[in-house]
Amino acid sequence: MIEAYFIHLLILIGIYIILAASLNLAMGNTGLLNVGHVAFYAIGAYTSALLALNLNIPFWIGFLAGGILAALFALLIAIPTLKLRGDYLAIATLGLAVVVESILRNWTSLTRGPLGLPGIPKPALFGMTFNNNSYLILVIIFSVITCLIIYYITKSPFGRVLKAIREDELAAASLGKNTTKYKTQALVISAFFAGIAGSLYAHYINFIDPTTFSVLESILIISMIIVGGLASVKGAVIGAVILTLLPEPLRFLPIPSFAIGALRQILYALLLVIILIKRPQGIWGEFTKQKENGA
Amino acid sequence: MAFSQLIINGLIAGAIYALIASSFSLIFNIIKFMDLSPGAIFVTAAFSAYAFNVLFGLHFLIALILAITVAVALALLVNLIVYQPLIKRKSDSFTLLLASFGVFLIITGFILLIFGAEVRTFGLPITKGYELLGFIITKTQITLIVTSIVVFIGLQLFMKKTKLGKAMRAMADNKQVASGIGINVKKITNITFIISAALAAIAGILVGLEQNIDHNMGFLVILKGLTASVIGGIGNVPAALIGGLIIGLVENIGIWYLPSGYKDAIAFVILIIFLIFRPKGIFGVKTREETSG
Repeated sequence: MIEAYFIHLLILIGIYIILAASLNLAMGNTGLLNVGHVAFYAIGAYTSALLALNLNIPFWIGFLAGGILAALFALLIAIPTLKLRGDYLAIATLGLAVVVESILRNWTSLTRGPLGLPGIPKPALFGMTFNNNSYLILVIIFSVITCLIIYYITKSPFGRVLKAIREDELAAASLGKNTTKYKTQALVISAFFAGIAGSLYAHYINFIDPTTFSVLESILIISMIIVGGLASVKGAVIGAVILTLLPEPLRFLPIPSFAIGALRQILYALLLVIILIKRPQGIWGEFTKQKENGA
Repeated sequence: MAFSQLIINGLIAGAIYALIASSFSLIFNIIKFMDLSPGAIFVTAAFSAYAFNVLFGLHFLIALILAITVAVALALLVNLIVYQPLIKRKSDSFTLLLASFGVFLIITGFILLIFGAEVRTFGLPITKGYELLGFIITKTQITLIVTSIVVFIGLQLFMKKTKLGKAMRAMADNKQVASGIGINVKKITNITFIISAALAAIAGILVGLEQNIDHNMGFLVILKGLTASVIGGIGNVPAALIGGLIIGLVENIGIWYLPSGYKDAIAFVILIIFLIFRPKGIFGVKTREETSG
């Protein structure tokens, strides 16, 4: 019983590591204000779940489809906003998150709306189904690969351009870098991994509904990378571990579930604000530069 | 339903969006960051008015004044303990926006904790609508439109005619110069937050008159308020009126053709269209601000 609970927590941590590390690529390394990462997570989860339920498409194809569709939506957001100053990306990503949740709720013929999608099959390989213990191994493999890829990206020449854009976009542009193209690529890659995380979540929990993908989930992922530290894979991992475990004790309090939800929300947001005021670089971050106000 | 009814419904919704858009635009224009907290101030005001009116049984007008007071006090508190330390450290607009997202969720989290997840309504008597030119309009809706018009005219007069309004516009143009000629930047910052919060609060209470309120409505308020200000040209306070009316009208005419569940997606589509073709808004003047960097 307790063992199953720990495995459950570890699986969640693994999924959140993918979400946090991928958001960090866009937000921490490139300085893109994506406040709607949860939208890409939701798109990945629903795509892969619907493909599995309606067309019997296995997880191994579904997760790629989820990632690719999430990446396409990121492209849709990137094209109009990334030429503009950063706040416009924040509006557009927040808008996307609000609208995706609303569509999941209202497109009942496809998503069954608030009833959710039950019975999403667990992945299988050569006749072996991934159950709780083996699913943990699967999630670990996915999150390690994600972290390695993102680490490699940030250390590559491409990653150095992203960092240059974050530090001083005008300077990067004056060196002949097409900054809009680089920012678009960063956002698209980031969304692709969020989509994969969504697919991993859907096939693990077996049931998804719109409440899982409320805009609130975005603040959780943002808090993870702010607490852990922007622009650091290690920071994203630490942030994901701390923030997944932090509200768990609330579960054992004798209070109604809406109050647990509210307390979780307050806890994450409070932590975010305190860290921003007191220790903006997070626990492990490298992002210490303070730009001029209004930059 | 007659077409004129759709227009009138659009205008009513638009009046609310316009108020909330001017609340966002004011802070963006003067303090220079995109503050999401007016979305939470809006919800706070709606729930405070509900609490004073329904739970404590106060007269509606007293409840309204108390609710606006609560909302303004909250905005000042947020400025004092969150924004001022960040602005003092010369934090970028990225950090301020993230902090305001946190503030939004802290406030709405407390509202959920206090009031629960149920949908609430003000205990106002339902009034019969008047029938005019083929559409029906209720007394509440007339009050709503008249209030928005009065508030808008008042805001314009304040910004153009009074000394404080002029000081605010000076600070919007150039903070350093404004401070150099003796404008008290700290005071103007507080006044900006007070006015912005009052606008958001009035919008929140007006929505409460018309519809149900719930703790979750803040997100849609942010989406529509910000979209309205993008349409008008973000930071352009008078143009926010046009932005709000456009969203209200398009939304209400749009649900004539689409299932009503997609109403909220309409604002988002308008947002993306404007960002592609006219990011500086209908009336926007091209400034350094709009381009990145």
